[in-house]
Amino acid sequence: MDKNKAMPLHLIKKRRKKNFYLMITLFFVIVQLLWVGIPIFMAIMWSLVNPNDAWSYPNLIPPSFSLEQWRYVFNYTNIARALKTSYTIAPLAVILSFLLSLPTSYILGRKNIPGKKIFMLVVLLPMIMPGMVVALFLSRVFNIMGLSQTFFGLVLAHTLMSMPYMIRVMTTSFASIPQDVIDAAENLGAGTFVKIKDIFLPMIRPGLIAGMIFAFTTSIEEFNLTFIIGTPTFETIPTILYSFMGYNFIRTNAAVVSLLMMTPNIIMLFIVERFLKSDYLSASLGKM
Amino acid sequence: MKKKDKITPFIILMLLPGVGFIVFFIGSSIVITVLQSLGFFNMMGESGFTLGYWKSILSSREAMDSLLFSLKMGILSSVGTVLVAFPLALFFRKSGPAKGMLGSIIKVPLFIPALVASFLILNLISYHGLINTTLMRLNIINEPLRMLNDSFGWGVITIQIWKNLPFVLLILMSAISSIRDDTIDAAKNLGAGYWSVLFRIYIPLAMPGILVAMILMFIRAFGDFPITSVAGPVYPSSVANRMQIMANLYQEWNQAAVLGVIIIVTTFFVVWAYSRFAELVQGGA
Repeated sequence: MDKNKAMPLHLIKKRRKKNFYLMITLFFVIVQLLWVGIPIFMAIMWSLVNPNDAWSYPNLIPPSFSLEQWRYVFNYTNIARALKTSYTIAPLAVILSFLLSLPTSYILGRKNIPGKKIFMLVVLLPMIMPGMVVALFLSRVFNIMGLSQTFFGLVLAHTLMSMPYMIRVMTTSFASIPQDVIDAAENLGAGTFVKIKDIFLPMIRPGLIAGMIFAFTTSIEEFNLTFIIGTPTFETIPTILYSFMGYNFIRTNAAVVSLLMMTPNIIMLFIVERFLKSDYLSASLGKM
Repeated sequence: MKKKDKITPFIILMLLPGVGFIVFFIGSSIVITVLQSLGFFNMMGESGFTLGYWKSILSSREAMDSLLFSLKMGILSSVGTVLVAFPLALFFRKSGPAKGMLGSIIKVPLFIPALVASFLILNLISYHGLINTTLMRLNIINEPLRMLNDSFGWGVITIQIWKNLPFVLLILMSAISSIRDDTIDAAKNLGAGYWSVLFRIYIPLAMPGILVAMILMFIRAFGDFPITSVAGPVYPSSVANRMQIMANLYQEWNQAAVLGVIIIVTTFFVVWAYSRFAELVQGGA
């Protein structure tokens, strides 16, 4: 009390305010760590359950740990094949969507054409349209074209779903190239080829990497279309996880597959965060 | 002001691979949905115009229950996520210690696929899950609470909020960051308290962002398939689930198409209503 009296009032207020902010920050840090950490921690616990020493109701943590569940999933389920399918489709879908998006993004980013807003909205359609409707009735289109239950059909479907991200992010990077640079290059006699090689490609590279990462994770996560168009001929990680969580619910298997699926994604998130401006994150999510 | 470029054959040729690809596949699936709901384009049997499928879906109790359930999930998930995200967005407005790291942690669920998110949350809220076990050990409850596959859909809402919080947070943060400090200082100088700053400045000025967030969340939760089929009630199922069961299990493609048209129309209507509303909000401000 005496100490406070010696201090001027506005300093006391300032200190109180600072303490208040510190408390709030601490509170949010703890809540966030629990909010994100506990669910992931529980999945790790479930993937390490020892089959000979059951983890049952009153225990909060398994009594002993083993890698038996991981061994089981790799030996007795189709996960190895599903991993291979997922990680072959994803790069192909990324390359295809890059090739298809590149000219469109250039036009949408650099040219001021009439109806540009409509084109930008149309490009978002795969993201806006409800996934199951597209999946079911695209499977009818694919039936007619003979693409159902084929590997190429799956690559096309995944390409379709990753294109909104690719086009949005690359359009933003094309738009951010200053016209001066291009004019200067033209004045100095640069042809189309030189412009592409020395200006466009280097300057859109960060956007390109961001777009590729988004397209890749979209393909790895894609469930609806793969489930309708690919099952039962092709299994990817999400469709396997769905079967583990549906008619034959085995929690330990689901835990292993969940961890296999999300770990690469989280690592990629940190790559995007570290090396790229966070603008790309919001550009890809699209402020409509 | 940049001059308008004319649409030349070159530009059409350049737009074709990107826009054309999307329009072809999405457009053809929409056309097939609409045609099949009206009785055309059947793979087997005869085709012809009929409104019978619409009648049978609109008079079906199960289909209407599913529709209402999905609408409820869409509305509650979008309101719930925005309510959780808004205070966080306000907190992140000013940079401070540990906020960079916090920002990365909070974005983690953005990159966790919906199915994995369902599994992660399911471990917590299931009958013998972490929350029930903890509450019972602390003698707060005697019976485990039913939070998963409950008839109301709380399990679905919880998972939707957890999974989509970062996505909504990013939108709200960019909306709030465009509010200038001057405006808030001016209001405080004129004697506005915390609550009136919140209700008269932050919320009205962030309204366009709040609307976008709510619309996108509604669309996601309304058309959702995997989360509801894992964590939703036994009855009713979501519209997307019912449509998939009708098409793949009962081979009732026409009735499934009717549900498909209902989902598409609802989605487009919400997007359209949003764009009208956004104009109003911006016009009024």
